[in-house]
Amino acid sequence: MKKLFIKSSAICCSDNALLVPFNLSSCDIDKSLIPANMRRRTSVTTRMAITAASLACQQANANVENIASVFASLGGEIQVTDALCRLLVDEHELLSPTQFHNSVHNTTAGYWSILNHCQAPATAIAAADDTFAMGLIEAWSQLQQHQGEQLLVCYDECWPQYLAPPLGKVAFACAFVLSTDSAQSLAEITVPSLANTAINLDKTWQAVAQSAPAATAIPLLQALQNKSLGQIVLNINSPIWVTERIA
Amino acid sequence: MENKSALIAPVAITASSTLSVCGLGNEALYQGILRDKSPLKPLALFNVRLKTLVGEITHPLLSVRSELAEYDSRNSRVALTALEGELRVAIESAKTKYGAQRIGVVIGTSTSGLYETETAYAELLATDKMPNGFDFVKQHAYQATARFLQLELGLSGICFAISTACSSGAKAIAAGQRLIDNDLCDAVLVGGVDTLCRLTLRGFSSLNLVSENQCTPMDKNRQGINIGEAAGLLLLERSHANNAGAIKVLAVGESSDAYHMSTPHPEGEGAALAMRNALDLAGLHVGDIDYLNLHATATRINDQVESRAVYRVFSDSLPCSATKGITGHTLGAAGALETIIATLALKEQFIPGTVGLSEQDEECQCQLIQSSISDKPLKRAMSNSFGFGGNNASVIVSV
Repeated sequence: MKKLFIKSSAICCSDNALLVPFNLSSCDIDKSLIPANMRRRTSVTTRMAITAASLACQQANANVENIASVFASLGGEIQVTDALCRLLVDEHELLSPTQFHNSVHNTTAGYWSILNHCQAPATAIAAADDTFAMGLIEAWSQLQQHQGEQLLVCYDECWPQYLAPPLGKVAFACAFVLSTDSAQSLAEITVPSLANTAINLDKTWQAVAQSAPAATAIPLLQALQNKSLGQIVLNINSPIWVTERIA
Repeated sequence: MENKSALIAPVAITASSTLSVCGLGNEALYQGILRDKSPLKPLALFNVRLKTLVGEITHPLLSVRSELAEYDSRNSRVALTALEGELRVAIESAKTKYGAQRIGVVIGTSTSGLYETETAYAELLATDKMPNGFDFVKQHAYQATARFLQLELGLSGICFAISTACSSGAKAIAAGQRLIDNDLCDAVLVGGVDTLCRLTLRGFSSLNLVSENQCTPMDKNRQGINIGEAAGLLLLERSHANNAGAIKVLAVGESSDAYHMSTPHPEGEGAALAMRNALDLAGLHVGDIDYLNLHATATRINDQVESRAVYRVFSDSLPCSATKGITGHTLGAAGALETIIATLALKEQFIPGTVGLSEQDEECQCQLIQSSISDKPLKRAMSNSFGFGGNNASVIVSV
């Protein structure tokens, strides 16, 4: 069977109250994890993703200097892009070079690799409502190749509400260290697949995920917290992707 | 010499297609390369206060059908147009063979449908509202073109975008090969699609990286890049007896510079690591590669650093060339477009020339091919792509 082990997870969310119904807790951006010169250059979304990623790696005792990573986000650096799009309307405006290179989708992946002197491959993916499910698939797929540990980060920040309301009302980042090895793992799950039966979605979660796309990861985070086995839903819009916690 | 074995199974490229400034289809691209002359011209698509040349697609674009109108963008239209012909037929036949759920779609892009969003912002600033019909997720967001292709083709399996700036297209090929190797898909439509927009032209200009004139990769007087747009699409399938004649992807090596967001590592450490990883994954030695399509954007630093990295891995024994003088730098599409150029080199048994090059920079110590040649058999080729964030990928293809 196609499966993987989860060694750790961490959440960084702008609204803690949001997580109470799910019995989950999150942390704020941890300034001590990001040097001041990098803090100044990075967006809220990158700092949140790096906070979650650093905490997950600490918990799993992962080697941050040599861990391959998948950064999954629907909108990525949307606040930077928004600011640039406003300037672009005027043909005379000059863009900031830093803002420009900070607008790419792999900005977080780039800063993560610089922060940790990590030359392992880092990728940045996007798949709209399926971003978390596809992130898990890409992370599993990479894991099969190198058979080591793999970092998966799923994140989206607050977006301007004229873009795709209510998407991006809440900022949410979470990170997982995955492994092919069962040692010190929290759980074992199957690789995501399309659900073959109709599924009733948890309405509270559905509402949260409609405003925070990365919060589609909540049911998996909850299953890790509750140590519950069975099917876990990975997205809120049909077709539904699921995984199964088997240990 | 030690015996190395491949760490990933090769995948067959059973069909591929390109749309670029050279026109529609691989034959047009091949003829464009053989001309050994630059087709780059001043920008016509929109106004920009910037003197430069671009690789703009002038081939007429197909319209997105009304059922998928929400996905309409220049990026989607370019992808749709590139799909027509043999590639679409091959995908239809794969669908019959494997089923719609077993065919993945992984597309690289750096700016996706940003061009339309830029236009929408003019209305937003004037009226405080986005224009009717604006759909951020379906037009602008990174996966929009991948999802559009999936819906257009009636596929229903794995589908996502990779967006790692200028290595996106190459990394999409890596992801596709893994999905087949790990038996999550039987076939994957991979590639890169990127279209001209204000952000990339004015952004690269803010970094002083845009050349006013024809770009001249690896030349001692190079002044920067010419931006281009393109779609490069490839259908990957498991390699077996029925497709034995197809050119194969052997491996894609990936790495991070871990150095700077927009400047490559001065000694090309990350670039060299990507090339070595590709050789290791493919189970090959440096002498097994016959041609390298360089990333060579024609900026001062990038070309110098890449040539150092190439020298570190291959010394000066490997024929190399840069094709961005023909296509322009097609950003997120470059990795896929130039992998297809590498497959054309193998298919047609020639090495493309480096259009724009007149006097090789002494600091760029690689064996540069200036005009297209056919002088020795070619079995395997490599294509390099390096992007912002220090994101590197090297693709190896083989007859």
